[in-house]
Amino acid sequence: MSSVVEHVASDALYVAQQKVYPREVTGRFRRLRTIAATSLLGIFYGMAWLQWQGHQVVLFDLPARKFYIFGLTFLPQDFFFLTWLLILAALSLFFVTALAGRLWCGYACPQTVWTDAFVWLERITEGKRAQRMKLDKAPWSVNKAWRKTAKQILWISLALYTGFTFVGYFTPIRLLLAEIIHVDTGPWETFWVLFYGAATYGNAGYLREQVCKYMCPYARFQSAMFDKHTLIITYDADRGEPRGSRGRGLGYKAEGLGDCIDCTLCVQACPTGIDIRKGLQYECIACAACIDACDSVMDKMKYQRGLVRYSTQAAVEGNAPHVLRPRTLIYGLILGALFVGFVYAITHRDLVQTDVLRDRNALYRELDDGRIENVYAVRVINKDDRPHDFRFSVEQLPNAQVESDPVLVHVAAATVASVALRVSAAPLANGGGHDIRIIATASDAPQLRAVSKARFFSLAVDAEHTRGSDDFGDFHEQRRH
Amino acid sequence: MATPEDELSAVQWSRLREDIAVVTWSSFLVACIATMLFFAFIDPIVLADALNHPGWLPNRMGSYALGFFLFWLIAASAAALTAYMLDTSREHFSTPQGNNRE
Repeated sequence: MSSVVEHVASDALYVAQQKVYPREVTGRFRRLRTIAATSLLGIFYGMAWLQWQGHQVVLFDLPARKFYIFGLTFLPQDFFFLTWLLILAALSLFFVTALAGRLWCGYACPQTVWTDAFVWLERITEGKRAQRMKLDKAPWSVNKAWRKTAKQILWISLALYTGFTFVGYFTPIRLLLAEIIHVDTGPWETFWVLFYGAATYGNAGYLREQVCKYMCPYARFQSAMFDKHTLIITYDADRGEPRGSRGRGLGYKAEGLGDCIDCTLCVQACPTGIDIRKGLQYECIACAACIDACDSVMDKMKYQRGLVRYSTQAAVEGNAPHVLRPRTLIYGLILGALFVGFVYAITHRDLVQTDVLRDRNALYRELDDGRIENVYAVRVINKDDRPHDFRFSVEQLPNAQVESDPVLVHVAAATVASVALRVSAAPLANGGGHDIRIIATASDAPQLRAVSKARFFSLAVDAEHTRGSDDFGDFHEQRRH
Repeated sequence: MATPEDELSAVQWSRLREDIAVVTWSSFLVACIATMLFFAFIDPIVLADALNHPGWLPNRMGSYALGFFLFWLIAASAAALTAYMLDTSREHFSTPQGNNRE
């Protein structure tokens, strides 16, 4: 155990640095974080390559303005769902925060996950904390140059591959790869790959936890979701104080010392460079590195683990923990309701939608047989993953005839088609505008139908009509009769 | 005088550096949301049609990028002005005893 103290003492000389060199730790929370980071990175890099039903499982096809997400196709008209999803995500974050503090920051935030990846690359090229500090202080040498170069090559490669994968969620990734191989990428694809790559490189390679400290909005307002029962990382001051180094074999309690041997390993392990023993600070991203560091020391000292541990303010004060409390219940209820609503809305969403616009040039036209014709421009939006042929009909207009060219309008999967629709009927008992409903029905699936409201303008039955009307002025003139 | 505790804590960013980082980042987030909202409702191709295809308007992908950077610029201008005014107000209105805002 004296080796721990000695090792720390030699390291302490290097602590006053301009930059944070977090000490590498091992332990159960480090393992958990590695599992979380690996799975999340695996999902990000892997999912782009999954194909389903002829297209990428997740593809935000911006050039075509179509989003494919797990077999569902969304068009810009479905923007509502995306908004809903973002609200759901935000609320989940609030809920988790109220319950378990900054779990998101420590385990799942992309900033943390990519920083972990970049730190790992740094470690395999430049070595552990003390080696890196020494290397940075040392004059340039072949060893230093090649280690730094190797690190940069790995960093830049990972950053560029991240940029490539990111763009691969907006442009089909297989196509993008082929373009890159043939050096034939579009200017904007190239630009975004480099842009996102540079952002990854800067954020994960250099800014790291400074992003959390200085730039992250969540870090500033997460405390609003906290209460006495929120899971936090805490130093047990009652047990630890008074801290101090101690000789081997002496009864430290007899000396009046607490369990903290003041080895500062928890401070060295901290990526944000804070001292957890000063209490909870907003810089703490709850990565639990200090817990692992302290536990390893406690094990060596043969003290009980948990001098630094996950706990709650209430538990530290000796009160019983409460998971169910108004805050978590309310967040949970709202979250549950929104989630159920979201699933219902997604599964019951209209796969067909129509927009009807009246022809602006003519209010109505009188046909040779005395019938009155109105023309509409109809946009049919087919969000299904299959093509359909649509037939049109009209409701709330007696004896209406509907003509479209062609009669069956073909709309490919996840596309929008426009068609001119001519609706005619005998003059109505009272002239002017009437509310009608225009219905598009898929010929192969009658349950796929969309209803749109429209106005139908007509002459009155008894109106004097000697000529057709081509504009609004004529319409008013005729109304006066 | 640096105490041992100061030596242990990470070095603080300068105010200017923090301002630049916060302005860049917060305006970036807002620009992302603004771009998403704007282009969810407006198709650049329809927009180009409406403007009679001006030469400076690029294709769809280019328009998204142009829109994004325009939003970023606008948001960053507002954020930079805000940061500047908050910083300077602190100097101008501080009492002889020190800073009255903190």
